[in-house]
Amino acid sequence: MRNITLMSAVTGLTRSLFAAAMLLTLAACNTTEIAAVEEPTVVPMTGQTDDPAPGFETVSVGSEEDFILNVGRRTYFTQDSAALDSVAKATLDKQAIWLNSNPRWLVKLQGFSDDSGSASKMASLSQQRADAAMAYLASKGVDPNRMWAKGYGNDREVRDCTERSCKVQNRRVVSNLRTERDAL
Amino acid sequence: MECTRRDIMLGGLALLGADALQKPAFAAATSYFSGPAVDNGVTYRSTNFAKIDKKWQRQVVKYFSSEPIGTVVVDTRHHFLYLIMENKTAIRYGVGVGRDGFKWYGRATIDRKSLWPRWTPPPEMRKRHPELPEFVEGGSPKNPLGPRAMYLLRDGVDTGYRFHGTLEPGSIGKDASSGCIRMFNEDAIDLYQRCPIGTAVQVLPHIADKAPEVSQATPVANPVATPVE
Repeated sequence: MRNITLMSAVTGLTRSLFAAAMLLTLAACNTTEIAAVEEPTVVPMTGQTDDPAPGFETVSVGSEEDFILNVGRRTYFTQDSAALDSVAKATLDKQAIWLNSNPRWLVKLQGFSDDSGSASKMASLSQQRADAAMAYLASKGVDPNRMWAKGYGNDREVRDCTERSCKVQNRRVVSNLRTERDAL
Repeated sequence: MECTRRDIMLGGLALLGADALQKPAFAAATSYFSGPAVDNGVTYRSTNFAKIDKKWQRQVVKYFSSEPIGTVVVDTRHHFLYLIMENKTAIRYGVGVGRDGFKWYGRATIDRKSLWPRWTPPPEMRKRHPELPEFVEGGSPKNPLGPRAMYLLRDGVDTGYRFHGTLEPGSIGKDASSGCIRMFNEDAIDLYQRCPIGTAVQVLPHIADKAPEVSQATPVANPVATPVE
């Protein structure tokens, strides 16, 4: 009897610890997701310049590393525009070819913007960019069921930007390979 | 060595011309090429990467210097061009850089870029080499720019320097050009896609976290004012 009480007390404790751990995990998930918007790795980098980056020691065909190195994840836009220019289309053409020959990957299209307007304007612009990239990939034969698009406005800039070269980095869509859909 | 400042300035203008006039030492090596490839309707000889030292091939490496993400950094001494990415990584490309007297350092911006650009040898170049044509059409097998050119400007003024492709894959990893940064054609195409107009460029003697060495290269005092096509 005493044992049972103790057991259930332990179980209770375990349960609340578990709940706490779950909360922590969830919190950690969120933190990681923000940090990992474009980062395949979040561990602090050690070693020396010119060492192969983690995962890139050997790059096998069809891997995420292959996509990053030989195709490129980023499509760029001009200020206040969600239109695809010829360079953007060339990038997406290459992505479509790769995605069509590597059907196991899903793709999250992440739209970003610089700070050329209000937060709400930047949010809708970034969504329009992500949507435009997704529609183009679909027009090149990539199954729309493999893709989803999300705009992040300007709250996830590559870095704080004051100069032009910095802003141009933020007018982009990143085609992020996924193995499963985002949990809602 | 005949390396007056004027020559260096002209080098800035004429660097492409000198590229074209290089002895065909590298071009003769047909093993550097494999089958034909097509880009934007132009057929060109693709690089035979089996014959190219792995060191010069495009790869993702760790990168610990402090330049911001999206910056292109050229390490002249070590013949590498880095495109800085997140999390202390960079895409590294092997490049060919200027010969002695034709080296150039500084900050610039990619302000213009073109597909299969026409090459117009600068007038000074044609005075010295009257056999040069007025221009060479883009896509011509004699056009030293190859499939892409990215034009480096500083404060809106053309420096005369570019990133571009090459007719001589064997010159990648060497001091061979007149100041331009030449790349494998496949890499010039790749970099073109990854660098929006406005991309910051730093051409350095060597990157900060490589062992500091005194460079023998001659910095250019001023950017060349005359635009080069």
